[in-house]
Amino acid sequence: MFEEASEVFDNMFKSSFPLTFIVFIPAVLILVSPLPAEAAHEFTVYRMQQYDLQGQPYGTRNAILNTEARTVEAEVLSRRCVVMRLADFSYDKYQKALRQSAGAVVIILPKNMSAMPQDIVQQFMELEPEMLATETVVPVYFALEDDELLSIYSQTLTSSSSQGSLSAAEVLLHTATANGFQMVTSGAQSKAVSDWVITSLEGRLAGVGGEDLPTIVVVAHYDSFGVAPWLSYGADSNGSGVSMLLELARLFSKLYTYKRTHAAYNLLFFVSGGGKFNYQGTKRWLEDNLDHTDSSLLQDNVAFVLCLDTLGSGDSIYLHVSKPPKEGTPQYALLKELETVVASQHPEARFSMVHKKINLADDMLAWEHERFGIRRLPAFTLSHLPSHRSARRSSIMDVRSVSPSSHHGAGEPPAGPHVDVSKLSRNTKVVAEALARVIYNLTEKGAPGDLQIFTEQMQVQEEHLSAVVDWLTAQPRAAQLVDKDSSFVSTLEYHLGRYLKDVKRHYVKADKRDPEFVFYDQLKQTMNAYRVKPAIFDLLLAVCIAAYLGMMYLAIQNFAVLYSVVRRITQPKTKVH
Amino acid sequence: MTLFHFGNCFALAYFPYFITYKCSGLSEYNAFWRCVQAGATYLFVQLCKMLFLATFFPTWEGGAGVYDFVGEFMKATVDLADLLGLHLVMSRNAGKGEYKIMVAAMGWATAELVMSRFLPLWVGARGIEFDWKYIQMSFDSNISLVHYIAMAAVVWMFTRYDLPKSFRLPVTVLLTLCVYKAFLMELFIHVFMLGSWTVLLVKAVLTGVISLCTLFLFVTLVHSN
Repeated sequence: MFEEASEVFDNMFKSSFPLTFIVFIPAVLILVSPLPAEAAHEFTVYRMQQYDLQGQPYGTRNAILNTEARTVEAEVLSRRCVVMRLADFSYDKYQKALRQSAGAVVIILPKNMSAMPQDIVQQFMELEPEMLATETVVPVYFALEDDELLSIYSQTLTSSSSQGSLSAAEVLLHTATANGFQMVTSGAQSKAVSDWVITSLEGRLAGVGGEDLPTIVVVAHYDSFGVAPWLSYGADSNGSGVSMLLELARLFSKLYTYKRTHAAYNLLFFVSGGGKFNYQGTKRWLEDNLDHTDSSLLQDNVAFVLCLDTLGSGDSIYLHVSKPPKEGTPQYALLKELETVVASQHPEARFSMVHKKINLADDMLAWEHERFGIRRLPAFTLSHLPSHRSARRSSIMDVRSVSPSSHHGAGEPPAGPHVDVSKLSRNTKVVAEALARVIYNLTEKGAPGDLQIFTEQMQVQEEHLSAVVDWLTAQPRAAQLVDKDSSFVSTLEYHLGRYLKDVKRHYVKADKRDPEFVFYDQLKQTMNAYRVKPAIFDLLLAVCIAAYLGMMYLAIQNFAVLYSVVRRITQPKTKVH
Repeated sequence: MTLFHFGNCFALAYFPYFITYKCSGLSEYNAFWRCVQAGATYLFVQLCKMLFLATFFPTWEGGAGVYDFVGEFMKATVDLADLLGLHLVMSRNAGKGEYKIMVAAMGWATAELVMSRFLPLWVGARGIEFDWKYIQMSFDSNISLVHYIAMAAVVWMFTRYDLPKSFRLPVTVLLTLCVYKAFLMELFIHVFMLGSWTVLLVKAVLTGVISLCTLFLFVTLVHSN
């Protein structure tokens, strides 16, 4: 058999060169071609933010991965994928991984983030902006845990922590039984997304009587921010703001349908996009309305601009201003009305004004009202947070559901970001009452402080607020993910159209030559974890197989021995015959 | 897992065949082409079996966990065609009994190795992911070799005109065991929930028992004349 085969090979080698090429090269190519194989486990991973804002890059820069998994306890981390669980996460371990130039970091988040103990949630929230501030070349991924991922993690943990402390025999045994994992992501290197459009929506309620009516603008940004865009649901910041704006739109449109209650103020509602990226939507909207249009509500008589930002929990309400309002202006009137309403109708809440000058030298503006302030429009922001630097405004921990077990004590609210619909509805009522008192001039007309307008049929509907917050937090609303064709924008447009007139979309595209913002893609990828064995294992297996084959060879060579034994056993029967 | 692993599995699967071919003295009889013919008969028989199964047996519509005993039993009965095929091969080869058996068995088993095991090994063992099943598949091919040798011997004995009456029964029993071995293995797996290495062990033991009995009967038959 081999003679014939060897003749063919001889011919091939001796004769012309092209023949060998035609036969061998394809064979070699087929042999070494990479194969798509089934993975032990395939799971979705969400990459950390990557964006440029005003030319400054933030976040992780890379996206591809094909490295072996290790946990932080291992000694050698370079060019490996470091896997850690949120419960064991600490900034030192993260820095250690980065210092040793790890190939990637995968952070495993528990399925139910709200069930985590509060101190871990707090610690992670503090770390999120730090993680984003240090520009990393290493891709950082987040994955939601499931059983298989947990088993992969625990196997990697045992093999990582036992490295370097075993004898040679233990190492051999270890290679035979333990599994290593190779993490491979699908998808390409991340590139900048060109022509990304940020959408904003506006709608109005026109006042009655005359041309030159004063305008009140109510603004809220709808996008959310977190360390990973696909995981940022932004329940409190700013889902609460958007739901409050929609509820105010509903209430005032109801008031404006009756001639008796139709006031002499124009109400302009603006739901802005790109809010977390230095309020890009608002900035361009202002430019378009003030610089490029002949007539716009914003150019004429603007009473004030009220921005709503994070009002879903807590018992404090802060009015953030860049200039304290002068007496006699509508802004001052609103300030006073808010104080009156809170003092007489909701004494459990605390209201105060916070004055912070606009600092143009800062990278990012503090609150949305500063955009309006730069264009000389009187504006303020209402929030339950005392400072714009609070970590709650940009955390992936800001989710809708918070389990009761995470409360410190019975009846105490959880410390992390969350939305308490009763607080949100109370804040909505406060804002609505104060606005109504300003619009209808109630204090001058002598109405008492505790006169409640929004009761019975005009009540603030908690179920409506809750439903809107649920819908908002059902999908991640990072600015990189809300396209102008997305269903989120069209649903919002429809919703606004039910109460307001002239609902228009407003688009923002980054400038070509000097872009204010650049977003990158590959934010959600599929990672495959392949079970691999170390190279030693192959050699070990080869030795064992060689031994087995040797035994087989001997057995077959000496088959005649077995044959004669059987023959001898069966012989006595024939001899008897 | 790598090309090396593929090489390991391939060696494990193929070398016993090679060794058997060399050491059984078949190469002296220029039996290579006869083995290839036996392999071609194997392909033909498998094709006929598949056509028959596809035409006459309906698809199983029961639940996923329930094992269709009767259906699988009927399907296993179709494996009688294997015996017919082996008989065909052996009847076309002139020579001593041992020669006929070995040629038929080698050709048959090699064809089965190439058809049903080479491709999974090529596709699976070369990938990144490591799985013990490729080593198990290679072991399984070794066991199949012994099984087919035993089966060919039993078929040969069955068709001998000078088979003593007392041997009829054991030979028939062994014949049915050979045909239904796969069915029995599936039964064991479902009833006892065996792990993959245990299955291999049971298969090896079963095949060993069958082949030992066959050997005994064969020796007695050949040397009783």
